[in-house]
Amino acid sequence: MVKMLVPYPENCTGCRFCEMACTIWHDGKVNHADARLQVHRRNVKIDFPSVCTHCVSCGDDCCVLHCPVEAIKKQDGKVFVDEEECTACGACVEVCPFGVMRMEEKAFNCDLCDGDPTCVKFCPTKAIVYEEPKPEQYEKVKKLLEVEE
Amino acid sequence: MTMKGYCGRILKVDLSAEKSHARTFDEKYASKYLGGQGFAVEIVYHGVPEGADPLGPDNVLAMAGGLFDGFPVPTGGKVAFAAKSPATNTLAESIMGGSIGPELKHAGYDALEITGKAVSPVYVFIEDDKVEINDAADLWGKDTRVTPETLKKRHGWDVKVACIGVAGEKLSKIACIDCDDRQAGRAGLGAVMGSKNLKAIVVRGTSDLVPAEPDKLLEIALRYQKIYEAAPSFIEDTKYGTGEFLGWVNKEKGVFPTRNWQESVFKEREKIDPYYWAPRYVTKNKACFACTKPCGKLFEVKSGKFAGVAIDGIEYETLYSLGGQCGNADVESVARANELCDLLGMDTISAGVTVGFAMELMQRGIITEKEVGFRLTFDNASDAVPRMIEMMGNRTGFGDILADGVKVAAKKIGKGSERYAIHTKGMEPPAYDVRGMKGHGLAYMTSTRGACHLRAGFYAPELVGKFWKWEGIDRFSPVNKGFMVSQTENFMSVYDSVGLCKFSRGFFLIAKLPEVIEAITGMKYTEDELLKIGERIHNMKGAFNAREGMTRKDWLLPARILEEPIVDGPSKGSKISVEEMNMMLDDYMKARGWTNDGVPTPEKLKELEIA
Repeated sequence: MVKMLVPYPENCTGCRFCEMACTIWHDGKVNHADARLQVHRRNVKIDFPSVCTHCVSCGDDCCVLHCPVEAIKKQDGKVFVDEEECTACGACVEVCPFGVMRMEEKAFNCDLCDGDPTCVKFCPTKAIVYEEPKPEQYEKVKKLLEVEE
Repeated sequence: MTMKGYCGRILKVDLSAEKSHARTFDEKYASKYLGGQGFAVEIVYHGVPEGADPLGPDNVLAMAGGLFDGFPVPTGGKVAFAAKSPATNTLAESIMGGSIGPELKHAGYDALEITGKAVSPVYVFIEDDKVEINDAADLWGKDTRVTPETLKKRHGWDVKVACIGVAGEKLSKIACIDCDDRQAGRAGLGAVMGSKNLKAIVVRGTSDLVPAEPDKLLEIALRYQKIYEAAPSFIEDTKYGTGEFLGWVNKEKGVFPTRNWQESVFKEREKIDPYYWAPRYVTKNKACFACTKPCGKLFEVKSGKFAGVAIDGIEYETLYSLGGQCGNADVESVARANELCDLLGMDTISAGVTVGFAMELMQRGIITEKEVGFRLTFDNASDAVPRMIEMMGNRTGFGDILADGVKVAAKKIGKGSERYAIHTKGMEPPAYDVRGMKGHGLAYMTSTRGACHLRAGFYAPELVGKFWKWEGIDRFSPVNKGFMVSQTENFMSVYDSVGLCKFSRGFFLIAKLPEVIEAITGMKYTEDELLKIGERIHNMKGAFNAREGMTRKDWLLPARILEEPIVDGPSKGSKISVEEMNMMLDDYMKARGWTNDGVPTPEKLKELEIA
């Protein structure tokens, strides 16, 4: 069974620990703009995490389809950027419906931390769970994100 | 930049000159003040000239993220504000859990210093090296939810906003600063922003924060997260919020001030107890930045006359101030009053204590229904409390008289009302009746910002009976409290400087901090060295206040606490006598190495390298 990050907005408290843990684990530093997921702390009622769904719920707004040089690939259910081929044009960042395709010198995205996601380990309230993908949860997040367009 | 964990820069914004400038600091400065409160206090101590008007252009508003801010340390995301307080005329800090502290660090600054006064309403927008002073005419008069929402639509949803409400604009001496529905509530710092015509501080930061030992830091983070998960008090906090121990304080200890401190047990406590309301009204947990044990509760009222209320609350202190203190047993009314305080930008503690004070005045016939415009009485609290809070925030009608807290109100009202104004140094007290916890009573006096439960946090040692290196603490005894309070004040100054939440202090003792500080900065400290820094910070506040002419005679407890024993409950008959008060103060001054008048000696300041 393929497991993915599944967001539960109703459980998110907005503490943003996941973002910090993500970038420390990957890069040895904290930078929320480089976190492979995002916490939105919008107002007193709404906090939610936005995660990479690895093609599960992106539909036409798909980084794989929109990459002009076919540098974004999918293997074993996971989407990843081939750094050799990436030209850092930013098309994937533009199109990503969850706002979690990132760009430094090259584009990069969530790699599920080799099967033991750091964000899940550090989330104290089960707002991100590593389990079988639940498209309805991704839809919830997409709807919440529409406000920020 | 060689220093790890710090940005090494402080941003100064001069609103009069419309200029900004970043200055650098070195490792020596960092190791003298740590960060957070330490930095904020240093900036105000050196930046505010003697005798400055707290609401004039010479006052300085400092904001600084704690040393841990921005790094994954559970509960380590607090940000400190400081200025000369308009409520107390002392150097006062106020700490909150808003995400603007970490964001400021990502923008490249450990602290922000705001001086001068803008000619018309402005907000400061900081985006890394770009600093703008922008027109805020359209935001003036807006509440603390509309303001950040408007600014986020303008600058992007990821910016962080600290702002004031109408109360701060109207220079209420109990006005607070809001960020993320959290407040730097105490000591009227919102009015300092208002006096500078500064509606909001908006920050976006995009640079890296690099810890000295990333892997070690992640290991520490997970370890403390597990410790917190297993801690019984945190399990209860997460379910019920900070009011979790209300029943215990009220019923078992009998020190829950009620009806303006006329009683110390609120008999209708069950109706405002979170064990009652959490299952009925809480729809979600809310956390401060980096907090893994969320005590914040989204409290929503779905029907009835208060339908639509949605707040991050109700905190323990607010259950007292807008609840028991006002005889208000209607939890929906407490929530509505809390929401109004938040929206208008007023400290819930001071606002509620002031309403309760006015209620006692009406009870005693000192003010009348005709003057106020309605029945501002304990038995009409459900309607009266939110109504008066709204009038205070907007300074309408009788609300204008109460808008600056009890000390100013008593002066305006006269007729012996001073007797019922419960405060020290001009600040209204929090939710612990110190007649039944004498060391905490001392802490209300020695707190540099007036009656406060968090400068020494001495309620916990006295209620639990043990803390840190002490056991068998007797809350009814004044003995040795001078020494203990001086020690816990130093402890708390360190805590506010690293940016940890004080609810963690039971497990995360000072002796455990050097490991974390080293993982972030690479700098090594011992427990004693950290406590010395805490002592330095407290002494700077003490020296500032002495310079402003405030001495021991200005610290004393209000008459009610000295003369009227607790009337019922487990602490019945207890009070702090004048002799006990003086004995504790004498002991405290000795422990501090200050003159018996409360002035830090030149020798002490030299020893602590305070210039």
